[in-house]
Amino acid sequence: MAKLTIPAEEWMYRGHAACPGCGPALAMRLLLKGLGPRTVMSIPACCWTVIGTPYPTTALGIALLDNPIESTGASIAGLRAALDALRIEDVRVVGFAGDGGTADIGLQALSGMLERRTDAIFVMYDNEGYMNTGVQRSSATPQGAWTTTTPVEGPRRGKREAKKEIMSIVLAHHPAYAATVNPAFPEDFVRKAEKARDARGPRFLHALTPCPPGWKFSSEETIELGRLATETGLFPLYEVEDGVYRITRRLGTLKPVDEYVRLQGRFRHWEPEDVRELSEEVRRGWERLLRLERETAPAVFPKPPVAIAAA
Amino acid sequence: MIEIRFHGRGGQGAVVASELLAQAAFLDGREPQCFPFFGVERRGAPVTAYARIDDRPVGVRTSIVNPDVVVVLDPGLLATTPVCDGLKDGGLLLVNSPRPVERLAAPDSVRRAAVDATAIAVAHGLGSRTMPIVNTTVLGALARASGAVSLEALGRAIDRFVPSHPEANRAAASDGFASVRCVDAGVPSSAPPTAWAPTAPLVLPDGPIATVPSRSIRTAAWRTLTPSIDLARCTRCNFCWKYCPDDAVELDARGYPVIALDSCKGCGICAQVCPPKTIAMVATEETAP
Ligand SMILES: Cc1ncc(C[n+]2csc(CCOP(=O)(O)OP(=O)(O)O)c2C)c(N)n1
Ligand code: SF4
Ligand code: SF4
Ligand code: SF4
Repeated sequence: MAKLTIPAEEWMYRGHAACPGCGPALAMRLLLKGLGPRTVMSIPACCWTVIGTPYPTTALGIALLDNPIESTGASIAGLRAALDALRIEDVRVVGFAGDGGTADIGLQALSGMLERRTDAIFVMYDNEGYMNTGVQRSSATPQGAWTTTTPVEGPRRGKREAKKEIMSIVLAHHPAYAATVNPAFPEDFVRKAEKARDARGPRFLHALTPCPPGWKFSSEETIELGRLATETGLFPLYEVEDGVYRITRRLGTLKPVDEYVRLQGRFRHWEPEDVRELSEEVRRGWERLLRLERETAPAVFPKPPVAIAAA
Repeated sequence: MIEIRFHGRGGQGAVVASELLAQAAFLDGREPQCFPFFGVERRGAPVTAYARIDDRPVGVRTSIVNPDVVVVLDPGLLATTPVCDGLKDGGLLLVNSPRPVERLAAPDSVRRAAVDATAIAVAHGLGSRTMPIVNTTVLGALARASGAVSLEALGRAIDRFVPSHPEANRAAASDGFASVRCVDAGVPSSAPPTAWAPTAPLVLPDGPIATVPSRSIRTAAWRTLTPSIDLARCTRCNFCWKYCPDDAVELDARGYPVIALDSCKGCGICAQVCPPKTIAMVATEETAP
C-alpha cells in the first residue's frame, strides 16, 4: 500500500451540504488536516456557512464561530484576544472566508487585522464570485467571465474589470507568512497549512477553489481544473515568509491557458483573441514572480577561497 | 383550484418547472401562482416548489400541504423524501421513472403516472449525463396526465421563457405528453411499501448550538452516478481518498478504498483522478422499491 502523503485524521466530516465536486469543501478538508484540532475558526456568510452547519449538525470537528460577512478579520482578532485573556496559548485562530467576504466586503477588517499584527490565520477560499447567493461577480472574478451580474449578451461580454490581486494587497502589510494553495496539490496545501499553524503573527492563505455550478463545468473536473490553473501559470504556487518569495511548484514551459479556459462554461463566449491576451498576462505574472523570487532571495555569502587561519 | 407540488433536486429544474407551468396556465387564460420552498438549493439537494391554478385570482400564499398533484422529477426521492405526504385521495402522483407504473412506490388511493423523462431529456441533449434537465419533459407528461394546462400553451411558454434550446425542450415536452403511462386509483401497486420513518428530532444541548457531527446526515440521494471500483486493478495509491471533497472514501486495513455509499454525492472526482482508471461511474439504481 502506498503510504499516506497527508495526515489520515479527518476534521471535516461527511454529510456536509456542499454541491458535488465542491472545491471549497476539499480545501477545508485539507486545511484542517494541516491545522489539526487545536483550532478555533470563524466563518462569515458564504457557501461554507451553509455547507458546514446543516442544522443542528456540524461538519467541523473544531469550534466554529459564525460571523457577519464584513467582520471575519475583526472576529479573529477578538477570538485571539479572548484566548490570550484566558491564557490559552496552544489554540490557533483561523478565519475562513470567500473571496467576497475577503477581497470585497471583508477587506477593511482583513487589513486591520494584518496591520495590528494579530496572531491569527486568514484563509480566503477563492471561488471567484458570490456563489452562495447564486453566482454574482466579485472583485476576484476573472476578467471576461460570465456571472449573473456580468452577462454575455449583445455587446456585453462578461466581467469588464481585471481580477483584484489580493496577494499583493496582503503582502503590502508585510505578514509573517502568506502563501497560495490549491486543493489539486494536497501535499503542498497541507504543508503550507502546517507552516501557517506554526508561525506567529498575521498569516494569510489564498486558496483557488473551483466551483462546478458557478464556473459551469462538470463536477468530476474540479481537480483537473485546479491542476491546470497552476500548470498554466495562472495560479502559481508560492509562499512569502518575512518578505522572501519561494515558488513551491516550479514550472518548465507553461501549459496553454486554453486548456483551462475551454473546460468552463463561464468562458464559452471567448474568442482566440481573449485567450491570447490572457496568455500574455499569465506570462508576465509568472516572470514577475520569478523576478521577485530572485530579488528577495537571502544573500548567500560565498565561502572564502582560503581558510582564514586563526592569527 | 388545483394545487401542484414539485419535488426535485437542485439542478434538475423543479423551480423552473413550477414557473413554466404557471406561465402556460396564464397563456391558457387562467390565474396561476408559483413559488419555491426557501431552502438550500445546492446542486443535487432535494428541492420543493409549488404551483396553484384557478379560474379566479389566487389569494392563498402558503406552501401546499394537501396537493391535488405531486410531481417527482427524480425517482430516487421516493425512497428518501415523503413526497406523497398530504396528497389527496384520488389525486395524481407523476414520477420521472422508467419503471412500469404499477411498480411505483405509492399509495393505491391515488392515480399514478410515470414517464421516462431522463431518457427523453438525454435523447434531446438537455443537460449533462450526470444531471439531465428533465423539467420540460415532465411538464409535457403532466399536461396529459392532469389536464392542468394544454400542450399548446406549454409549448408557447417554453418558446417565451426557456432561454436555451427551446425547440429541443418543446420536442421533449411533446415526447413526455405522448409517452406518459397512467393507472387509476384503486389499481393495486405491486411495490412493497416504503419504510419511510421520519428521523427523530435532535435534542439541542445548552452550550454550543451544533455539536452533532454531520456524519449522521445521508447525502446519498444527491447522486445520479455511483462510483464502482474494480479492486483487482487497484494499485492502492489512495488518490481517490485524498481528493474526495465529501470524505466519502475510506481505506481498509490493507489500503484498499471503500466508498461510504451513504455519503458519496457521485461527483466523479475519484474516477477522474484514479491513475489506472479502475473506477467507473455507473447509473444509480432507482433506489425506490
Ligand atoms: C452585509 C451582507 N450583505 C449581503 C449578504 C448576503 N450574502 C450571503 S452569502 C453571500 C455571498 C458571499 O460570497 P463569498 O464571500 O465570495 O463566498 P461564496 O458564497 O462564494 O462562498 C452574500 C452576498 C450578507 N450575508 N451580508
Ligand atoms: S456553489 Fe460552488 S462553492 Fe458553493 S457549495 Fe456549490 S460548488 Fe461549493
Ligand atoms: S464520487 Fe465524489 S463524493 Fe463519491 S466517493 Fe468519489 S469523489 Fe467522493
Ligand atoms: S485512485 Fe484508483 S488505484 Fe488509487 S486507490 Fe483509488 S481505486 Fe485504487
